[in-house]
Amino acid sequence: MGNCLKGTSNEDISLLRENERSSEQQIEPIQPSSYRDRTPVFYPTPNDGRPANQLTEEEQVRIARRIGLMEHLPILAYDDSINKNKECVICMIEFKIGEEVRYLPCMHVYHVSCIDDWLMRSFTCPSCMEPVDAALLTSYDTN
Amino acid sequence: MSEPQSSLLLRKQLAELNKNPVEGFSAGLIDDNDIYRWEVLIIGPPDTLYEGGFFKAHLYFPKEYPLRPPKMKFVTEIWHPNIDKSGDVCISILHEPGDDKYGYEKASERWLPVHTVETILISVISMLADPNDESPANVDAAKEWRENYQEFKRKVARCVRRSQEDCL
Repeated sequence: MGNCLKGTSNEDISLLRENERSSEQQIEPIQPSSYRDRTPVFYPTPNDGRPANQLTEEEQVRIARRIGLMEHLPILAYDDSINKNKECVICMIEFKIGEEVRYLPCMHVYHVSCIDDWLMRSFTCPSCMEPVDAALLTSYDTN
Repeated sequence: MSEPQSSLLLRKQLAELNKNPVEGFSAGLIDDNDIYRWEVLIIGPPDTLYEGGFFKAHLYFPKEYPLRPPKMKFVTEIWHPNIDKSGDVCISILHEPGDDKYGYEKASERWLPVHTVETILISVISMLADPNDESPANVDAAKEWRENYQEFKRKVARCVRRSQEDCL
């Protein structure tokens, strides 16, 4: 729980919100439809997205390390005889046989694009909340 | 432009909730043309102070859902330690991981992309039954809940009564 306590008075907050909303409305219509093709945005913390050239060196290193670790997470073709999960719990869309899915160390599987977007924000399994980096290290130790 | 994933996912949840309603709340859209803004009606959980009340709330989903959580705001007046006086709901599962500057919350208690309207509302209903006074959003309500329970009960009862009048 927690951390919702606001220092300012409620009136100030509602005014701030009003501004936020109206600026959002102004920005939305001009957003290009191909926004995915623009400079990639990285998330040093989950709600703070910035293009690579606006990251500190430390943040760049952390993100690069994460991308490196993600490459160790196997991508395999979905096989319904092995996997009990019929759908990706992130997008709630059923897996198709032969489709590429990513395996986390805890053996939970997701669509590659669904889980990669999440891992870039938070390095935990959405189903069991196991931290992926710790689990990866353990699997190295045991191998 | 193809429909974003967030919109498909929300449509799917809305269809599912219409087909198989979940006990304790009903869900729909504020405006039929906007899948990102929901209106829910929460039925005050039985055997709690909120029993008998009908509390309307709005959920605002970001385009990045389910990577980012929605915001939730009660439209009906409600007196509760974890709902601030403007109606904003403060529960940890609606907080993004890494959002917790003070380290009060475990990552596992925060937002995960597997949360749905249903799981969010189940958490909110359980919060109504069982307030968390460690990190209140409404300090006066939290203080009353701890120190002057009679007065707390009286205020909640007034909200319940008003919510019934609003619904008629």
